[in-house]
Amino acid sequence: MGLLSIIRKIKRKEKEMRILMVGLDNSGKTTIVLRINGEDTSVISPTLGFNIKTIKYDKYILNIWDVGGQRTIRSYWRNYFEQTDGLVWVVDSSDVRRLEDCKMELDNLLKEERLSGASLLILANKQDIQGALTPNEIAKVLNLDAMDRTRHWKIVGCSAYTGEGLLEGFDWLVQDVASRIYILD
Amino acid sequence: MEEDQSKSRTKDIRDESLDPITEKKQAAMLERLSNLHQSRLQESISRKTDNSSPLESTKSFLDRFSEAKRSIQDELDRCRLVSDPESKGRLKSDLEQLSMSIAELEKLVSENSYFLPSYEIRSSLTSISELKERLENANSMLLPKKKFAFKNKAAKKDQNNATSTAETGASDSVSVDIKAPETILPEKLNIQIRDSPGFRNRVDAVLVKHFKSSGKGDFTLSDLKSCEVRLTGRLRAVFIHRLKSCRVFVGPVLGSILIEEVEDCLFMLASHQIRIHHARNTDFYLRVRSRPIVEDSSSVRFAPYHLSYEGLDKDLQDSGLDGDTGNWGNVDDFRWLRAVQSPNWSILPEDERVSIVKISSAETCSEDS
Repeated sequence: MGLLSIIRKIKRKEKEMRILMVGLDNSGKTTIVLRINGEDTSVISPTLGFNIKTIKYDKYILNIWDVGGQRTIRSYWRNYFEQTDGLVWVVDSSDVRRLEDCKMELDNLLKEERLSGASLLILANKQDIQGALTPNEIAKVLNLDAMDRTRHWKIVGCSAYTGEGLLEGFDWLVQDVASRIYILD
Repeated sequence: MEEDQSKSRTKDIRDESLDPITEKKQAAMLERLSNLHQSRLQESISRKTDNSSPLESTKSFLDRFSEAKRSIQDELDRCRLVSDPESKGRLKSDLEQLSMSIAELEKLVSENSYFLPSYEIRSSLTSISELKERLENANSMLLPKKKFAFKNKAAKKDQNNATSTAETGASDSVSVDIKAPETILPEKLNIQIRDSPGFRNRVDAVLVKHFKSSGKGDFTLSDLKSCEVRLTGRLRAVFIHRLKSCRVFVGPVLGSILIEEVEDCLFMLASHQIRIHHARNTDFYLRVRSRPIVEDSSSVRFAPYHLSYEGLDKDLQDSGLDGDTGNWGNVDDFRWLRAVQSPNWSILPEDERVSIVKISSAETCSEDS
Protein backbone atom coordinates (compact mmCIF):
# COMPACT_ATOMS: atom_id res chain seq x y z
CA MET A 1 0.00 0.00 0.00
CA GLY A 2 2.72 2.43 1.03
CA LEU A 3 4.94 1.62 -1.93
CA LEU A 4 2.03 1.71 -4.32
CA SER A 5 0.98 5.16 -3.22
CA ILE A 6 4.57 6.40 -3.60
CA ILE A 7 4.75 5.00 -7.10
CA ARG A 8 1.44 6.57 -7.94
CA LYS A 9 2.65 9.88 -6.66
CA ILE A 10 5.82 9.72 -8.75
CA LYS A 11 3.82 8.70 -11.78
CA ARG A 12 1.55 11.64 -11.30
CA LYS A 13 4.51 13.99 -10.91
CA GLU A 14 6.00 12.74 -14.14
CA LYS A 15 3.03 13.92 -16.10
CA GLU A 16 3.15 17.43 -14.72
CA MET A 17 4.28 20.44 -16.67
CA ARG A 18 5.07 23.88 -15.42
CA ILE A 19 3.81 26.64 -17.68
CA LEU A 20 4.70 30.29 -17.11
CA MET A 21 2.42 32.97 -18.55
CA VAL A 22 3.99 36.39 -18.97
CA GLY A 23 3.52 39.49 -21.09
CA LEU A 24 2.80 43.19 -20.70
CA ASP A 25 -0.10 44.33 -18.55
CA ASN A 26 -3.46 44.40 -20.31
CA SER A 27 -2.45 41.61 -22.69
CA GLY A 28 -5.06 39.20 -21.33
CA LYS A 29 -3.04 36.54 -19.51
CA THR A 30 -5.52 35.89 -16.72
CA THR A 31 -8.45 35.90 -19.13
CA ILE A 32 -6.73 33.27 -21.26
CA VAL A 33 -6.10 30.99 -18.31
CA LEU A 34 -9.65 31.32 -17.03
CA ARG A 35 -11.07 30.77 -20.52
CA ILE A 36 -9.07 27.57 -20.98
CA ASN A 37 -10.27 26.38 -17.62
CA GLY A 38 -13.86 27.18 -18.58
CA GLU A 39 -14.37 29.79 -15.87
CA ASP A 40 -16.24 33.09 -15.88
CA THR A 41 -14.16 35.79 -17.56
CA SER A 42 -16.47 38.76 -17.11
CA VAL A 43 -14.95 40.08 -13.88
CA ILE A 44 -11.17 39.97 -13.88
CA SER A 45 -9.16 42.56 -12.00
CA PRO A 46 -5.63 43.35 -13.11
CA THR A 47 -3.40 40.77 -11.46
CA LEU A 48 -1.62 41.98 -8.35
CA GLY A 49 0.94 39.24 -7.76
CA PHE A 50 0.16 35.93 -9.43
CA ASN A 51 -2.38 33.13 -9.85
CA ILE A 52 -1.72 29.40 -10.11
CA LYS A 53 -4.10 27.13 -11.94
CA THR A 54 -3.78 23.38 -12.16
CA ILE A 55 -5.49 22.14 -15.26
CA LYS A 56 -5.82 18.62 -16.60
CA TYR A 57 -5.00 18.76 -20.28
CA ASP A 58 -4.93 15.59 -22.33
CA LYS A 59 -3.09 13.11 -20.15
CA TYR A 60 -0.96 15.83 -18.60
CA ILE A 61 -1.41 18.10 -15.66
CA LEU A 62 -0.50 21.70 -16.34
CA ASN A 63 0.57 23.94 -13.52
CA ILE A 64 -0.02 27.34 -15.01
CA TRP A 65 1.62 30.29 -13.32
CA ASP A 66 -0.06 33.49 -14.39
CA VAL A 67 2.12 36.39 -13.28
CA GLY A 68 0.96 40.02 -13.25
CA GLY A 69 2.36 42.24 -15.99
CA GLN A 70 2.24 45.76 -14.52
CA ARG A 71 5.55 47.52 -14.83
CA THR A 72 6.02 47.65 -11.05
CA ILE A 73 5.89 43.90 -10.68
CA ARG A 74 7.70 42.79 -13.85
CA SER A 75 10.93 42.62 -11.90
CA TYR A 76 9.43 39.75 -9.91
CA TRP A 77 8.97 37.58 -13.00
CA ARG A 78 12.41 36.12 -12.44
CA ASN A 79 11.20 34.46 -9.26
CA TYR A 80 9.06 32.14 -11.35
CA PHE A 81 11.62 31.07 -13.95
CA GLU A 82 12.95 27.97 -12.21
CA GLN A 83 11.95 24.65 -13.77
CA THR A 84 9.66 26.17 -16.36
CA ASP A 85 8.83 23.69 -19.12
CA GLY A 86 6.69 25.95 -21.27
CA LEU A 87 6.71 29.72 -21.62
CA VAL A 88 3.65 31.58 -22.89
CA TRP A 89 4.22 35.15 -24.02
CA VAL A 90 0.94 36.99 -24.45
CA VAL A 91 0.69 40.02 -26.75
CA ASP A 92 -2.18 42.50 -27.04
CA SER A 93 -2.38 42.60 -30.84
CA SER A 94 -4.35 45.84 -30.78
CA ASP A 95 -1.83 47.74 -28.64
CA VAL A 96 0.39 48.94 -31.48
CA ARG A 97 1.99 51.70 -29.48
CA ARG A 98 3.53 49.42 -26.90
CA LEU A 99 4.82 46.71 -29.24
CA GLU A 100 8.26 48.20 -28.82
CA ASP A 101 8.01 47.69 -25.04
CA CYS A 102 6.69 44.24 -25.71
CA LYS A 103 9.66 43.33 -27.88
CA MET A 104 12.13 44.66 -25.33
CA GLU A 105 10.62 42.70 -22.45
CA LEU A 106 10.50 39.52 -24.52
CA ASP A 107 14.11 39.92 -25.60
CA ASN A 108 15.14 40.34 -21.97
CA LEU A 109 13.19 37.28 -20.99
CA LEU A 110 14.76 35.09 -23.64
CA LYS A 111 18.24 36.02 -22.46
CA GLU A 112 17.43 34.30 -19.20
CA GLU A 113 19.45 31.14 -18.84
CA ARG A 114 16.90 29.41 -16.65
CA LEU A 115 14.35 29.66 -19.46
CA SER A 116 16.69 28.53 -22.20
CA GLY A 117 15.19 25.06 -22.40
CA ALA A 118 11.56 26.12 -22.28
CA SER A 119 9.31 25.90 -25.33
CA LEU A 120 7.94 29.30 -26.26
CA LEU A 121 4.35 29.90 -27.30
CA ILE A 122 3.51 33.43 -28.39
CA LEU A 123 -0.18 34.21 -28.26
CA ALA A 124 -1.21 37.15 -30.42
CA ASN A 125 -4.29 37.84 -28.32
CA LYS A 126 -7.37 40.01 -28.98
CA GLN A 127 -7.67 39.00 -32.63
CA ASP A 128 -11.40 39.71 -32.37
CA ILE A 129 -10.73 43.46 -32.20
CA GLN A 130 -11.09 45.26 -35.52
CA GLY A 131 -7.68 46.43 -36.64
CA ALA A 132 -5.67 44.06 -34.47
CA LEU A 133 -2.34 43.13 -36.02
CA THR A 134 -2.15 39.65 -37.49
CA PRO A 135 0.17 37.02 -36.00
CA ASN A 136 2.46 37.47 -39.02
CA GLU A 137 2.76 41.18 -38.40
CA ILE A 138 3.41 40.60 -34.71
CA ALA A 139 6.09 38.06 -35.59
CA LYS A 140 7.73 40.62 -37.84
CA VAL A 141 7.73 43.36 -35.22
CA LEU A 142 9.04 41.05 -32.54
CA ASN A 143 11.64 39.82 -35.02
CA LEU A 144 10.95 36.22 -34.09
CA ASP A 145 12.85 34.82 -37.05
CA ALA A 146 16.06 36.05 -35.48
CA MET A 147 15.52 33.88 -32.45
CA ASP A 148 18.07 31.40 -31.24
CA ARG A 149 17.87 28.27 -33.43
CA THR A 150 17.71 25.93 -30.47
CA ARG A 151 14.49 27.47 -29.20
CA HIS A 152 11.22 25.69 -29.95
CA TRP A 153 8.67 28.41 -30.63
CA LYS A 154 5.36 29.08 -32.33
CA ILE A 155 3.11 32.08 -32.70
CA VAL A 156 -0.65 31.65 -32.72
CA GLY A 157 -3.39 34.24 -33.13
CA CYS A 158 -6.12 33.94 -30.54
CA SER A 159 -8.91 35.68 -28.73
CA ALA A 160 -9.49 35.05 -25.08
CA TYR A 161 -12.85 36.75 -25.54
CA THR A 162 -14.16 34.26 -28.10
CA GLY A 163 -11.83 31.42 -27.14
CA GLU A 164 -10.60 31.07 -30.71
CA GLY A 165 -7.03 29.82 -31.20
CA LEU A 166 -6.34 29.04 -27.56
CA LEU A 167 -6.53 25.29 -27.89
CA GLU A 168 -4.41 25.29 -31.02
CA GLY A 169 -1.68 27.13 -29.11
CA PHE A 170 -1.80 25.02 -26.00
CA ASP A 171 -1.99 21.78 -28.00
CA TRP A 172 1.27 22.68 -29.65
CA LEU A 173 2.90 23.74 -26.38
CA VAL A 174 1.90 20.62 -24.49
CA GLN A 175 2.95 18.32 -27.34
CA ASP A 176 6.26 20.09 -27.71
CA VAL A 177 7.06 19.95 -24.01
CA ALA A 178 5.92 16.33 -23.82
CA SER A 179 8.11 15.29 -26.72
CA ARG A 180 11.12 16.75 -24.94
CA ILE A 181 10.41 15.52 -21.43
CA TYR A 182 8.43 12.33 -21.79
CA ILE A 183 10.32 10.91 -24.70
CA LEU A 184 9.74 7.37 -23.43
CA ASP A 185 5.97 7.50 -23.79
CA MET B 1 17.56 -33.24 27.44
CA GLU B 2 16.67 -36.31 25.55
CA GLU B 3 14.67 -34.34 23.15
CA ASP B 4 17.62 -32.08 22.50
CA GLN B 5 19.89 -34.95 21.74
CA SER B 6 17.48 -36.50 19.35
CA LYS B 7 17.14 -33.19 17.61
CA SER B 8 20.88 -32.80 17.16
CA ARG B 9 21.11 -36.30 15.89
CA THR B 10 18.54 -35.75 13.24
CA LYS B 11 20.36 -32.64 12.24
CA ASP B 12 23.64 -34.55 11.95
CA ILE B 13 21.98 -37.08 9.81
CA ARG B 14 20.57 -34.46 7.54
CA ASP B 15 23.96 -32.75 7.21
CA GLU B 16 25.58 -35.99 6.24
CA SER B 17 22.93 -36.76 3.73
CA LEU B 18 23.42 -33.38 2.09
CA ASP B 19 27.19 -33.53 2.13
CA PRO B 20 27.92 -34.95 -1.34
CA ILE B 21 25.88 -32.27 -3.05
CA THR B 22 27.27 -29.31 -1.11
CA GLU B 23 30.76 -30.64 -1.56
CA LYS B 24 30.29 -30.66 -5.26
CA LYS B 25 28.94 -27.16 -5.22
CA GLN B 26 31.82 -25.93 -3.08
CA ALA B 27 34.38 -27.48 -5.37
CA ALA B 28 32.82 -25.91 -8.40
CA MET B 29 32.73 -22.55 -6.69
CA LEU B 30 36.37 -22.75 -5.64
CA GLU B 31 37.41 -23.65 -9.12
CA ARG B 32 35.57 -20.73 -10.59
CA LEU B 33 37.11 -18.37 -8.06
CA SER B 34 40.63 -19.56 -8.71
CA ASN B 35 40.07 -19.24 -12.46
CA LEU B 36 38.92 -15.71 -11.97
CA HIS B 37 41.93 -14.93 -9.82
CA GLN B 38 44.30 -16.39 -12.40
CA SER B 39 42.84 -14.38 -15.23
CA ARG B 40 42.97 -11.24 -13.16
CA LEU B 41 46.62 -11.81 -12.31
CA GLN B 42 47.43 -12.38 -15.93
CA GLU B 43 45.64 -9.25 -16.95
CA SER B 44 47.49 -7.11 -14.47
CA ILE B 45 50.83 -8.55 -15.53
CA SER B 46 50.10 -7.94 -19.19
CA ARG B 47 49.03 -4.41 -18.44
CA LYS B 48 52.26 -3.72 -16.59
CA THR B 49 54.40 -5.02 -19.43
CA ASP B 50 52.23 -3.24 -21.94
CA ASN B 51 52.79 0.19 -20.50
CA SER B 52 56.45 -0.54 -19.99
CA SER B 53 57.51 0.80 -16.63
CA PRO B 54 55.23 3.34 -14.94
CA LEU B 55 58.18 5.65 -14.42
CA GLU B 56 58.83 5.88 -18.12
CA SER B 57 55.23 6.66 -19.04
CA THR B 58 55.13 9.32 -16.35
CA LYS B 59 58.19 10.82 -17.95
CA SER B 60 56.72 10.72 -21.44
CA PHE B 61 53.53 12.28 -20.12
CA LEU B 62 55.48 15.09 -18.47
CA ASP B 63 57.36 15.73 -21.69
CA ARG B 64 54.19 15.98 -23.69
CA PHE B 65 52.53 18.09 -21.05
CA SER B 66 55.29 20.65 -20.73
CA GLU B 67 55.63 20.92 -24.49
CA ALA B 68 51.94 21.66 -24.93
CA LYS B 69 52.02 24.07 -22.02
CA ARG B 70 54.95 25.98 -23.51
CA SER B 71 53.26 26.32 -26.90
CA ILE B 72 50.08 27.64 -25.26
CA GLN B 73 52.08 30.16 -23.26
CA ASP B 74 53.92 31.34 -26.35
CA GLU B 75 50.68 31.73 -28.23
CA LEU B 76 49.16 33.69 -25.35
CA ASP B 77 52.13 36.05 -25.27
CA ARG B 78 51.90 36.55 -28.99
CA CYS B 79 48.19 37.42 -28.74
CA ARG B 80 48.92 39.98 -26.06
CA LEU B 81 51.48 41.77 -28.15
CA VAL B 82 49.48 41.81 -31.36
CA SER B 83 49.35 45.32 -32.78
CA ASP B 84 48.77 45.20 -36.54
CA PRO B 85 45.08 45.33 -37.44
CA GLU B 86 45.11 42.25 -39.63
CA SER B 87 46.06 39.83 -36.91
CA LYS B 88 43.84 41.74 -34.52
CA GLY B 89 40.92 40.63 -36.61
CA ARG B 90 41.99 37.05 -36.09
CA LEU B 91 42.42 37.53 -32.37
CA LYS B 92 39.05 36.16 -31.40
CA SER B 93 39.45 32.88 -33.21
CA ASP B 94 43.02 32.64 -31.91
CA LEU B 95 41.81 32.97 -28.34
CA GLU B 96 39.11 30.41 -28.93
CA GLN B 97 41.73 28.05 -30.35
CA LEU B 98 43.78 28.60 -27.20
CA SER B 99 40.94 27.74 -24.90
CA MET B 100 40.43 24.55 -26.89
CA SER B 101 44.09 23.59 -26.54
CA ILE B 102 43.85 24.12 -22.81
CA ALA B 103 40.81 21.89 -22.67
CA GLU B 104 42.76 19.23 -24.58
CA LEU B 105 45.59 19.49 -22.12
CA GLU B 106 43.15 19.00 -19.28
CA LYS B 107 41.82 15.92 -21.01
CA LEU B 108 45.35 14.55 -21.36
CA VAL B 109 45.87 14.85 -17.62
CA SER B 110 42.62 13.17 -16.72
CA GLU B 111 43.23 10.33 -19.18
CA ASN B 112 46.60 9.57 -17.70
CA SER B 113 45.72 10.25 -14.10
CA TYR B 114 45.32 6.56 -13.24
CA PHE B 115 49.03 5.86 -13.33
CA LEU B 116 50.47 9.28 -12.50
CA PRO B 117 51.86 9.95 -9.07
CA SER B 118 49.54 12.23 -7.16
CA TYR B 119 52.15 14.96 -6.99
CA GLU B 120 52.38 15.15 -10.79
CA ILE B 121 48.60 15.26 -11.12
CA ARG B 122 48.38 18.12 -8.68
CA SER B 123 51.16 20.15 -10.24
CA SER B 124 49.85 19.69 -13.78
CA LEU B 125 46.34 20.69 -12.69
CA THR B 126 47.78 23.81 -11.06
CA SER B 127 49.57 24.83 -14.21
CA ILE B 128 46.38 24.25 -16.22
CA SER B 129 44.42 26.55 -13.96
CA GLU B 130 47.22 29.10 -14.27
CA LEU B 131 46.92 28.90 -18.04
CA LYS B 132 43.19 29.34 -17.83
CA GLU B 133 43.60 32.41 -15.69
CA ARG B 134 46.05 33.94 -18.11
CA LEU B 135 43.70 33.27 -20.99
CA GLU B 136 40.89 34.88 -19.02
CA ASN B 137 43.05 37.95 -18.47
CA ALA B 138 43.94 38.10 -22.12
CA ASN B 139 40.26 37.77 -23.02
CA SER B 140 39.17 40.60 -20.75
CA MET B 141 42.04 42.74 -21.97
CA LEU B 142 41.36 42.20 -25.65
CA LEU B 143 37.68 41.40 -25.87
CA PRO B 144 36.03 44.75 -24.99
CA LYS B 145 37.35 45.92 -28.30
CA LYS B 146 36.07 42.73 -29.88
CA LYS B 147 32.59 43.34 -28.51
CA PHE B 148 32.58 46.83 -29.89
CA ALA B 149 33.68 45.65 -33.30
CA PHE B 150 30.97 43.03 -33.32
CA LYS B 151 28.21 45.54 -32.50
CA ASN B 152 29.54 47.90 -35.07
CA LYS B 153 29.39 45.24 -37.71
CA ALA B 154 25.81 44.34 -36.90
CA ALA B 155 24.75 47.97 -37.04
CA LYS B 156 26.37 48.41 -40.40
CA LYS B 157 24.58 45.43 -41.80
CA ASP B 158 21.21 46.80 -40.76
CA GLN B 159 21.98 50.21 -42.07
CA ASN B 160 23.13 49.07 -45.45
CA ASN B 161 19.95 50.12 -47.15
CA ALA B 162 18.97 52.91 -44.77
CA THR B 163 21.81 55.36 -44.25
CA SER B 164 25.54 55.18 -44.55
CA THR B 165 26.33 57.12 -41.40
CA ALA B 166 27.70 54.06 -39.66
CA GLU B 167 31.19 54.89 -40.87
CA THR B 168 31.24 58.25 -39.14
CA GLY B 169 29.79 56.71 -36.02
CA ALA B 170 32.43 54.02 -35.91
CA SER B 171 34.93 56.33 -34.28
CA ASP B 172 33.12 56.41 -30.95
CA SER B 173 31.19 53.58 -29.51
CA VAL B 174 28.52 55.78 -27.91
CA SER B 175 27.03 57.05 -31.10
CA VAL B 176 26.98 53.57 -32.57
CA ASP B 177 25.15 52.27 -29.55
CA ILE B 178 22.51 54.95 -29.86
CA LYS B 179 22.05 54.29 -33.52
CA ALA B 180 21.61 50.58 -33.14
CA PRO B 181 17.96 50.72 -31.97
CA GLU B 182 17.16 53.26 -34.66
CA THR B 183 18.22 50.88 -37.35
CA ILE B 184 15.39 48.58 -36.40
CA LEU B 185 12.85 51.36 -36.75
CA PRO B 186 12.44 51.63 -40.52
CA GLU B 187 11.26 48.05 -40.54
CA LYS B 188 8.79 48.81 -37.80
CA LEU B 189 7.46 52.00 -39.27
CA ASN B 190 5.78 50.33 -42.19
CA ILE B 191 3.69 48.43 -39.73
CA GLN B 192 2.94 51.42 -37.56
CA ILE B 193 1.40 53.12 -40.55
CA ARG B 194 -1.57 50.94 -39.87
CA ASP B 195 -2.38 52.78 -36.66
CA SER B 196 -5.66 52.08 -34.97
CA PRO B 197 -8.41 54.69 -35.36
CA GLY B 198 -8.19 57.59 -32.96
CA PHE B 199 -7.82 61.29 -32.20
CA ARG B 200 -4.18 62.36 -32.15
CA ASN B 201 -2.16 65.56 -31.82
CA ARG B 202 -4.97 68.07 -31.30
CA VAL B 203 -5.12 71.27 -29.25
CA ASP B 204 -8.19 73.21 -28.08
CA ALA B 205 -10.67 71.05 -29.98
CA VAL B 206 -14.00 69.41 -29.33
CA LEU B 207 -13.75 65.87 -30.66
CA VAL B 208 -16.96 63.92 -31.08
CA LYS B 209 -17.54 60.45 -32.44
CA HIS B 210 -20.36 57.96 -32.37
CA PHE B 211 -19.78 54.25 -32.75
CA LYS B 212 -22.19 51.75 -34.20
CA SER B 213 -23.48 49.11 -31.89
CA SER B 214 -21.20 46.26 -33.04
CA GLY B 215 -18.69 47.23 -30.35
CA LYS B 216 -15.78 45.50 -32.05
CA GLY B 217 -13.47 48.44 -32.63
CA ASP B 218 -10.74 49.96 -30.56
CA PHE B 219 -9.98 53.66 -30.32
CA THR B 220 -6.94 55.69 -29.34
CA LEU B 221 -6.69 59.15 -27.81
CA SER B 222 -3.15 60.41 -27.81
CA ASP B 223 -1.26 63.69 -27.52
CA LEU B 224 -4.27 65.91 -26.89
CA LYS B 225 -4.13 69.24 -25.09
CA SER B 226 -7.09 71.21 -23.73
CA CYS B 227 -9.61 69.15 -25.67
CA GLU B 228 -13.05 67.87 -24.93
CA VAL B 229 -13.69 64.34 -26.22
CA ARG B 230 -17.09 62.67 -26.45
CA LEU B 231 -17.25 59.08 -27.64
CA THR B 232 -20.70 57.53 -27.64
CA GLY B 233 -21.78 54.03 -28.57
CA ARG B 234 -19.98 50.79 -27.79
CA LEU B 235 -16.27 50.10 -28.07
CA ARG B 236 -14.09 47.02 -27.62
CA ALA B 237 -10.96 48.69 -26.21
CA VAL B 238 -9.64 52.20 -25.59
CA PHE B 239 -6.05 53.43 -25.33
CA ILE B 240 -5.34 56.84 -23.83
CA HIS B 241 -1.85 58.29 -23.96
CA ARG B 242 -0.40 61.72 -23.12
CA LEU B 243 -3.38 63.96 -22.45
CA LYS B 244 -3.18 67.32 -20.74
CA SER B 245 -6.06 69.41 -19.42
CA CYS B 246 -8.69 67.40 -21.27
CA ARG B 247 -12.24 66.33 -20.50
CA VAL B 248 -13.05 62.88 -21.84
CA PHE B 249 -16.48 61.20 -21.90
CA VAL B 250 -16.71 57.64 -23.20
CA GLY B 251 -19.55 55.17 -23.63
CA PRO B 252 -19.29 51.54 -22.51
CA VAL B 253 -16.14 49.58 -23.38
CA LEU B 254 -16.42 45.81 -23.53
CA GLY B 255 -12.75 45.05 -22.95
CA SER B 256 -10.25 47.27 -21.21
CA ILE B 257 -9.08 50.86 -21.04
CA LEU B 258 -5.40 51.62 -20.74
CA ILE B 259 -4.40 55.10 -19.62
CA GLU B 260 -0.84 56.43 -19.58
CA GLU B 261 0.62 59.86 -18.85
CA VAL B 262 -2.35 62.11 -18.23
CA GLU B 263 -2.37 65.35 -16.27
CA ASP B 264 -5.07 67.77 -15.06
CA CYS B 265 -7.83 65.84 -16.82
CA LEU B 266 -11.35 64.61 -16.19
CA PHE B 267 -12.37 61.16 -17.41
CA MET B 268 -15.78 59.53 -17.45
CA LEU B 269 -15.37 55.90 -18.41
CA ALA B 270 -17.25 52.61 -18.27
CA SER B 271 -15.33 49.41 -18.89
CA HIS B 272 -14.57 45.89 -17.70
CA GLN B 273 -10.97 46.73 -16.83
CA ILE B 274 -9.25 50.05 -16.23
CA ARG B 275 -5.51 50.56 -15.79
CA ILE B 276 -4.10 53.98 -14.99
CA HIS B 277 -0.39 54.73 -15.24
CA HIS B 278 1.50 57.97 -14.65
CA ALA B 279 -1.57 60.08 -13.96
CA ARG B 280 -1.43 63.35 -12.03
CA ASN B 281 -4.12 65.65 -10.74
CA THR B 282 -6.91 63.87 -12.51
CA ASP B 283 -10.49 62.89 -11.64
CA PHE B 284 -11.97 59.60 -12.82
CA TYR B 285 -15.71 58.94 -12.93
CA LEU B 286 -15.89 55.20 -13.44
CA ARG B 287 -18.18 52.29 -13.86
CA VAL B 288 -16.00 49.20 -13.87
CA ARG B 289 -16.64 45.49 -13.41
CA SER B 290 -13.28 44.69 -11.84
CA ARG B 291 -11.02 46.70 -9.57
CA PRO B 292 -9.36 49.66 -11.29
CA ILE B 293 -5.63 50.00 -10.74
CA VAL B 294 -3.23 52.92 -10.57
CA GLU B 295 0.53 52.79 -10.95
CA ASP B 296 3.07 55.61 -10.61
CA SER B 297 0.23 58.10 -10.14
CA SER B 298 -0.49 60.86 -7.67
CA SER B 299 -3.42 63.11 -6.72
CA VAL B 300 -5.95 61.06 -8.63
CA ARG B 301 -9.54 60.97 -7.39
CA PHE B 302 -12.42 58.61 -8.08
CA ALA B 303 -16.18 58.95 -8.34
CA PRO B 304 -19.05 56.95 -9.90
CA TYR B 305 -19.98 57.18 -13.61
CA HIS B 306 -22.30 60.07 -14.38
CA LEU B 307 -22.88 60.10 -18.12
CA SER B 308 -26.13 60.36 -20.04
CA TYR B 309 -26.98 60.15 -23.70
CA GLU B 310 -29.84 58.61 -25.62
CA GLY B 311 -29.43 54.85 -25.77
CA LEU B 312 -26.72 54.68 -23.10
CA ASP B 313 -28.67 52.26 -20.95
CA LYS B 314 -28.97 49.78 -23.81
CA ASP B 315 -25.30 50.19 -24.70
CA LEU B 316 -24.35 49.55 -21.09
CA GLN B 317 -26.51 46.46 -21.01
CA ASP B 318 -25.10 45.10 -24.27
CA SER B 319 -21.58 45.53 -22.91
CA GLY B 320 -22.41 43.80 -19.64
CA LEU B 321 -21.99 47.01 -17.67
CA ASP B 322 -25.52 47.59 -16.43
CA GLY B 323 -25.72 48.04 -12.68
CA ASP B 324 -22.93 49.65 -10.74
CA THR B 325 -20.69 47.20 -8.91
CA GLY B 326 -19.31 49.88 -6.63
CA ASN B 327 -15.83 48.96 -7.81
CA TRP B 328 -15.13 52.54 -8.89
CA GLY B 329 -13.82 53.11 -5.37
CA ASN B 330 -11.94 49.81 -4.90
CA VAL B 331 -8.70 51.03 -6.37
CA ASP B 332 -5.47 49.01 -6.21
CA ASP B 333 -2.28 51.05 -6.18
CA PHE B 334 0.61 48.94 -7.46
CA ARG B 335 3.00 51.40 -5.88
CA TRP B 336 1.41 51.07 -2.48
CA LEU B 337 1.14 47.42 -1.46
CA ARG B 338 0.09 48.01 2.13
CA ALA B 339 -3.03 47.69 4.16
CA VAL B 340 -3.36 51.41 4.84
CA GLN B 341 -4.90 53.76 2.31
CA SER B 342 -2.57 54.83 -0.48
CA PRO B 343 -1.69 58.54 -0.44
CA ASN B 344 -1.75 58.59 -4.24
CA TRP B 345 -5.51 58.38 -4.73
CA SER B 346 -8.70 59.29 -2.91
CA ILE B 347 -12.48 59.32 -3.25
CA LEU B 348 -13.70 62.53 -4.80
CA PRO B 349 -15.89 64.34 -2.21
CA GLU B 350 -19.52 64.46 -3.31
CA ASP B 351 -19.79 68.22 -3.30
CA GLU B 352 -16.88 68.50 -5.72
CA ARG B 353 -18.27 66.06 -8.28
CA VAL B 354 -19.65 67.30 -11.59
CA SER B 355 -23.36 66.89 -12.13
CA ILE B 356 -24.65 64.42 -14.72
CA VAL B 357 -23.04 65.07 -18.07
CA LYS B 358 -25.51 64.96 -20.92
CA ILE B 359 -24.53 64.47 -24.50
CA SER B 360 -27.43 65.50 -26.73
CA SER B 361 -28.50 63.10 -29.45
CA ALA B 362 -28.07 65.82 -32.07
CA GLU B 363 -24.42 65.87 -31.16
CA THR B 364 -23.97 62.12 -31.24
CA CYS B 365 -25.39 61.99 -34.74
CA SER B 366 -23.45 64.90 -36.09
CA GLU B 367 -20.27 62.96 -36.69
CA ASP B 368 -21.65 59.51 -37.09
CA SER B 369 -19.00 57.13 -38.31
